Amino acid sequence: MTEQKRADQLAVGETFKTYELHITPEFNQQFLEAVEDYQPRYLQETEDGPPIVHPALLINHSNITRSPSFYLLPRMAAVHAKEEVEYLNPGRVDKTFRVSWKVTDVYEKRGRPYQVAEALIVDEDGVEILRRTITDTFISGKE
Amino acid sequence: MAILTNDTSQGCEFSGSLKTVTEERVWLFSGGLRQDPGWPKKNIHTDLEFAKSCGLPTRAASAAMFEGYLTELMIDLFGVNWLKEGKMSLKFIAIVDVGDKLLPKAVVQSKEAEDSGVRFVMEVWCENQHGNKVVVGTATGWVR
Repeated sequence: MTEQKRADQLAVGETFKTYELHITPEFNQQFLEAVEDYQPRYLQETEDGPPIVHPALLINHSNITRSPSFYLLPRMAAVHAKEEVEYLNPGRVDKTFRVSWKVTDVYEKRGRPYQVAEALIVDEDGVEILRRTITDTFISGKE
Repeated sequence: MAILTNDTSQGCEFSGSLKTVTEERVWLFSGGLRQDPGWPKKNIHTDLEFAKSCGLPTRAASAAMFEGYLTELMIDLFGVNWLKEGKMSLKFIAIVDVGDKLLPKAVVQSKEAEDSGVRFVMEVWCENQHGNKVVVGTATGWVR
Protein backbone atom coordinates (compact mmCIF):
# COMPACT_ATOMS: atom_id res chain seq x y z
CA MET A 1 0.00 0.00 0.00
CA THR A 2 1.31 3.44 -0.92
CA GLU A 3 -0.96 5.84 0.95
CA GLN A 4 1.47 8.71 1.28
CA LYS A 5 2.40 9.22 -2.37
CA ARG A 6 0.67 11.81 -4.49
CA ALA A 7 -1.49 10.16 -7.13
CA ASP A 8 0.57 11.28 -10.12
CA GLN A 9 3.76 10.01 -8.48
CA LEU A 10 2.73 6.38 -8.09
CA ALA A 11 5.03 4.04 -10.00
CA VAL A 12 4.31 0.83 -11.87
CA GLY A 13 3.26 -1.90 -9.45
CA GLU A 14 2.09 0.48 -6.74
CA THR A 15 -1.51 0.54 -5.59
CA PHE A 16 -4.12 3.01 -4.51
CA LYS A 17 -5.91 2.26 -1.27
CA THR A 18 -9.03 0.18 -1.86
CA TYR A 19 -12.45 1.79 -1.68
CA GLU A 20 -15.72 0.30 -0.49
CA LEU A 21 -19.15 1.57 -1.31
CA HIS A 22 -22.66 0.39 -0.54
CA ILE A 23 -25.13 1.14 -3.28
CA THR A 24 -28.63 1.86 -2.03
CA PRO A 25 -31.67 2.22 -4.31
CA GLU A 26 -31.53 5.99 -3.70
CA PHE A 27 -27.87 6.15 -4.70
CA ASN A 28 -28.65 4.22 -7.88
CA GLN A 29 -31.68 6.41 -8.57
CA GLN A 30 -29.49 9.53 -8.43
CA PHE A 31 -27.36 8.15 -11.26
CA LEU A 32 -30.38 7.10 -13.31
CA GLU A 33 -31.51 10.73 -13.19
CA ALA A 34 -28.01 11.91 -14.11
CA VAL A 35 -27.82 9.78 -17.27
CA GLU A 36 -31.55 9.80 -18.11
CA ASP A 37 -31.83 6.01 -18.14
CA TYR A 38 -34.92 4.68 -16.38
CA GLN A 39 -34.98 1.08 -17.57
CA PRO A 40 -36.98 -1.05 -15.08
CA ARG A 41 -33.99 -3.36 -14.62
CA TYR A 42 -32.33 -0.63 -12.53
CA LEU A 43 -35.37 0.05 -10.38
CA GLN A 44 -37.02 -3.27 -9.60
CA GLU A 45 -36.77 -7.03 -9.88
CA THR A 46 -37.17 -8.11 -13.51
CA GLU A 47 -36.52 -11.23 -15.57
CA ASP A 48 -32.87 -10.15 -15.32
CA GLY A 49 -32.94 -10.62 -11.54
CA PRO A 50 -32.81 -8.12 -8.67
CA PRO A 51 -32.34 -4.42 -9.49
CA ILE A 52 -29.05 -3.74 -11.28
CA VAL A 53 -26.62 -0.96 -10.43
CA HIS A 54 -26.35 1.40 -13.38
CA PRO A 55 -22.99 0.72 -15.06
CA ALA A 56 -22.18 4.44 -15.21
CA LEU A 57 -22.29 4.56 -11.41
CA LEU A 58 -19.79 1.71 -11.20
CA ILE A 59 -17.53 3.34 -13.77
CA ASN A 60 -17.68 6.68 -11.98
CA HIS A 61 -16.97 5.11 -8.60
CA SER A 62 -14.03 3.09 -9.85
CA ASN A 63 -12.09 6.11 -11.09
CA ILE A 64 -8.80 6.50 -9.22
CA THR A 65 -10.10 9.73 -7.71
CA ARG A 66 -12.40 7.60 -5.52
CA SER A 67 -9.53 5.97 -3.67
CA PRO A 68 -9.13 7.18 -0.07
CA SER A 69 -5.41 7.55 -0.79
CA PHE A 70 -5.88 9.71 -3.91
CA TYR A 71 -4.63 13.24 -3.61
CA LEU A 72 -3.01 15.88 -5.79
CA LEU A 73 -1.61 19.35 -5.20
CA PRO A 74 -4.05 22.26 -5.28
CA ARG A 75 -4.82 23.36 -8.87
CA MET A 76 -4.09 19.86 -10.15
CA ALA A 77 -6.60 17.39 -11.54
CA ALA A 78 -6.72 13.96 -13.12
CA VAL A 79 -8.33 13.88 -16.55
CA HIS A 80 -9.58 10.65 -18.09
CA ALA A 81 -7.96 10.05 -21.47
CA LYS A 82 -8.62 6.42 -22.38
CA GLU A 83 -10.56 3.48 -21.08
CA GLU A 84 -10.88 -0.25 -21.58
CA VAL A 85 -13.64 -1.97 -19.68
CA GLU A 86 -14.67 -5.59 -19.46
CA TYR A 87 -18.02 -6.34 -17.88
CA LEU A 88 -18.10 -9.60 -15.95
CA ASN A 89 -21.38 -9.55 -14.02
CA PRO A 90 -24.14 -7.06 -13.27
CA GLY A 91 -23.74 -5.28 -9.94
CA ARG A 92 -26.83 -5.59 -7.76
CA VAL A 93 -28.42 -2.80 -5.76
CA ASP A 94 -28.10 -3.00 -1.96
CA LYS A 95 -24.75 -4.73 -2.11
CA THR A 96 -21.36 -3.47 -1.01
CA PHE A 97 -18.58 -3.24 -3.59
CA ARG A 98 -14.83 -3.10 -3.18
CA VAL A 99 -12.67 -1.35 -5.77
CA SER A 100 -8.94 -1.95 -6.08
CA TRP A 101 -6.39 -0.29 -8.35
CA LYS A 102 -2.83 -1.05 -9.44
CA VAL A 103 -0.64 1.19 -11.57
CA THR A 104 0.53 -0.74 -14.64
CA ASP A 105 2.24 1.92 -16.74
CA VAL A 106 3.44 5.50 -16.61
CA TYR A 107 4.62 7.45 -19.62
CA GLU A 108 4.91 10.89 -21.10
CA LYS A 109 3.45 11.99 -24.42
CA ARG A 110 3.78 15.47 -25.90
CA GLY A 111 5.15 16.69 -22.59
CA ARG A 112 2.17 15.48 -20.60
CA PRO A 113 2.32 12.74 -17.93
CA TYR A 114 0.08 9.71 -18.25
CA GLN A 115 -0.69 6.96 -15.76
CA VAL A 116 -2.37 3.65 -16.52
CA ALA A 117 -4.15 1.79 -13.72
CA GLU A 118 -6.04 -1.49 -13.67
CA ALA A 119 -9.19 -1.42 -11.59
CA LEU A 120 -11.27 -4.32 -10.38
CA ILE A 121 -14.70 -4.18 -8.73
CA VAL A 122 -15.78 -7.16 -6.61
CA ASP A 123 -19.02 -7.38 -4.67
CA GLU A 124 -19.54 -8.52 -1.07
CA ASP A 125 -20.03 -12.13 -2.26
CA GLY A 126 -16.73 -12.15 -4.11
CA VAL A 127 -18.37 -11.85 -7.53
CA GLU A 128 -16.20 -9.96 -10.00
CA ILE A 129 -18.26 -7.18 -11.56
CA LEU A 130 -15.93 -5.40 -13.95
CA ARG A 131 -12.31 -4.79 -14.84
CA ARG A 132 -11.01 -1.54 -16.24
CA THR A 133 -7.77 -0.26 -17.65
CA ILE A 134 -7.87 3.47 -16.99
CA THR A 135 -5.51 5.97 -18.59
CA ASP A 136 -5.44 9.37 -16.92
CA THR A 137 -3.36 12.43 -17.54
CA PHE A 138 -2.63 15.04 -14.91
CA ILE A 139 -3.14 18.74 -15.52
CA SER A 140 -2.35 21.80 -13.46
CA GLY A 141 -3.24 25.47 -13.56
CA LYS A 142 -0.99 28.45 -12.98
CA GLU A 143 -0.38 29.78 -9.48
CA MET B 1 -34.79 -7.72 -25.87
CA ALA B 2 -31.66 -7.28 -27.97
CA ILE B 3 -31.82 -5.32 -31.22
CA LEU B 4 -28.95 -7.10 -32.94
CA THR B 5 -29.65 -10.49 -34.52
CA ASN B 6 -27.51 -13.01 -36.34
CA ASP B 7 -28.70 -11.38 -39.55
CA THR B 8 -27.58 -7.84 -38.69
CA SER B 9 -25.14 -6.79 -41.40
CA GLN B 10 -21.76 -5.13 -41.29
CA GLY B 11 -22.23 -1.37 -41.73
CA CYS B 12 -25.61 -1.20 -39.98
CA GLU B 13 -25.79 1.97 -37.89
CA PHE B 14 -27.68 2.52 -34.64
CA SER B 15 -28.36 5.56 -32.47
CA GLY B 16 -29.24 5.71 -28.80
CA SER B 17 -31.28 8.29 -26.93
CA LEU B 18 -30.35 11.95 -27.28
CA LYS B 19 -28.91 13.12 -23.96
CA THR B 20 -28.84 16.66 -22.65
CA VAL B 21 -26.05 17.50 -20.23
CA THR B 22 -27.65 19.88 -17.77
CA GLU B 23 -26.01 21.44 -14.74
CA GLU B 24 -28.22 19.43 -12.38
CA ARG B 25 -27.36 16.14 -14.12
CA VAL B 26 -23.64 16.91 -13.87
CA TRP B 27 -24.10 17.67 -10.19
CA LEU B 28 -26.02 14.42 -9.69
CA PHE B 29 -23.28 12.48 -11.45
CA SER B 30 -20.19 14.14 -10.05
CA GLY B 31 -21.24 16.18 -7.03
CA GLY B 32 -21.54 13.41 -4.46
CA LEU B 33 -24.70 12.30 -2.70
CA ARG B 34 -27.34 14.97 -3.08
CA GLN B 35 -28.45 14.70 0.53
CA ASP B 36 -24.95 15.41 1.81
CA PRO B 37 -24.20 18.86 3.25
CA GLY B 38 -22.53 21.18 0.78
CA TRP B 39 -23.78 19.28 -2.27
CA PRO B 40 -22.59 19.52 -4.94
CA LYS B 41 -18.91 19.07 -4.19
CA LYS B 42 -16.69 21.39 -6.18
CA ASN B 43 -14.49 19.72 -8.76
CA ILE B 44 -13.55 20.08 -12.43
CA HIS B 45 -16.91 18.61 -13.44
CA THR B 46 -19.22 20.72 -11.29
CA ASP B 47 -17.55 24.09 -10.82
CA LEU B 48 -16.29 26.55 -13.45
CA GLU B 49 -13.78 28.31 -11.21
CA PHE B 50 -12.39 25.02 -9.94
CA ALA B 51 -11.99 23.77 -13.51
CA LYS B 52 -10.24 26.97 -14.59
CA SER B 53 -7.92 26.84 -11.58
CA CYS B 54 -6.73 23.47 -12.86
CA GLY B 55 -6.02 24.84 -16.33
CA LEU B 56 -9.19 23.76 -18.10
CA PRO B 57 -11.04 26.27 -20.27
CA THR B 58 -14.39 25.28 -18.78
CA ARG B 59 -16.14 22.61 -16.74
CA ALA B 60 -15.70 19.12 -18.11
CA ALA B 61 -18.53 16.66 -17.61
CA SER B 62 -17.19 13.33 -16.37
CA ALA B 63 -16.15 10.97 -19.15
CA ALA B 64 -17.88 8.23 -17.16
CA MET B 65 -21.15 10.05 -17.83
CA PHE B 66 -21.00 9.76 -21.60
CA GLU B 67 -19.35 6.36 -21.36
CA GLY B 68 -22.62 5.49 -19.62
CA TYR B 69 -24.58 6.69 -22.65
CA LEU B 70 -22.65 4.23 -24.82
CA THR B 71 -23.15 1.44 -22.29
CA GLU B 72 -26.89 2.04 -22.43
CA LEU B 73 -26.76 1.71 -26.23
CA MET B 74 -24.75 -1.52 -26.00
CA ILE B 75 -27.30 -3.04 -23.62
CA ASP B 76 -30.06 -2.00 -26.04
CA LEU B 77 -28.19 -3.70 -28.90
CA PHE B 78 -26.95 -6.86 -27.19
CA GLY B 79 -29.35 -7.24 -24.27
CA VAL B 80 -28.54 -7.15 -20.58
CA ASN B 81 -26.22 -10.12 -21.06
CA TRP B 82 -23.72 -7.55 -22.32
CA LEU B 83 -23.07 -6.78 -18.63
CA LYS B 84 -21.66 -10.33 -18.30
CA GLU B 85 -19.32 -10.35 -21.26
CA GLY B 86 -19.27 -7.00 -23.05
CA LYS B 87 -16.08 -5.06 -23.68
CA MET B 88 -15.47 -1.48 -24.65
CA SER B 89 -12.34 0.49 -25.53
CA LEU B 90 -12.66 4.28 -25.63
CA LYS B 91 -10.69 7.46 -26.18
CA PHE B 92 -12.06 10.72 -24.81
CA ILE B 93 -11.21 13.39 -27.35
CA ALA B 94 -13.17 16.52 -26.44
CA ILE B 95 -14.58 18.33 -23.44
CA VAL B 96 -18.31 18.02 -22.78
CA ASP B 97 -19.85 20.97 -20.94
CA VAL B 98 -23.24 21.88 -19.54
CA GLY B 99 -25.68 22.57 -22.35
CA ASP B 100 -24.21 20.02 -24.73
CA LYS B 101 -26.49 17.47 -26.31
CA LEU B 102 -24.92 14.09 -27.03
CA LEU B 103 -26.08 11.30 -29.29
CA PRO B 104 -24.51 7.86 -28.74
CA LYS B 105 -24.00 5.94 -31.97
CA ALA B 106 -22.68 2.58 -33.16
CA VAL B 107 -22.02 0.90 -36.46
CA VAL B 108 -21.27 -2.78 -37.06
CA GLN B 109 -17.57 -2.89 -37.88
CA SER B 110 -17.28 -6.67 -38.15
CA LYS B 111 -19.08 -9.87 -37.23
CA GLU B 112 -17.77 -13.40 -36.90
CA ALA B 113 -19.52 -16.69 -36.19
CA GLU B 114 -18.10 -18.53 -33.20
CA ASP B 115 -19.13 -21.78 -31.51
CA SER B 116 -21.13 -19.94 -28.87
CA GLY B 117 -22.72 -17.30 -31.09
CA VAL B 118 -21.92 -14.39 -33.37
CA ARG B 119 -19.28 -11.96 -32.16
CA PHE B 120 -19.91 -8.36 -33.17
CA VAL B 121 -17.36 -5.56 -33.04
CA MET B 122 -19.02 -2.16 -33.10
CA GLU B 123 -17.43 1.18 -33.83
CA VAL B 124 -18.91 3.48 -31.18
CA TRP B 125 -18.92 7.19 -30.51
CA CYS B 126 -20.90 10.07 -29.05
CA GLU B 127 -21.35 13.20 -31.09
CA ASN B 128 -22.45 16.59 -29.84
CA GLN B 129 -24.96 19.09 -31.19
CA HIS B 130 -22.30 20.40 -33.60
CA GLY B 131 -21.70 16.94 -35.07
CA ASN B 132 -18.32 16.67 -33.36
CA LYS B 133 -17.26 13.40 -31.79
CA VAL B 134 -16.35 13.63 -28.10
CA VAL B 135 -15.55 9.97 -27.46
CA VAL B 136 -14.60 7.26 -29.97
CA GLY B 137 -13.79 3.58 -29.74
CA THR B 138 -15.01 0.04 -30.18
CA ALA B 139 -17.30 -2.32 -28.30
CA THR B 140 -17.55 -6.08 -28.49
CA GLY B 141 -20.51 -8.28 -27.75
CA TRP B 142 -22.15 -11.57 -28.69
CA VAL B 143 -25.51 -12.50 -30.16
CA ARG B 144 -26.40 -16.05 -29.13
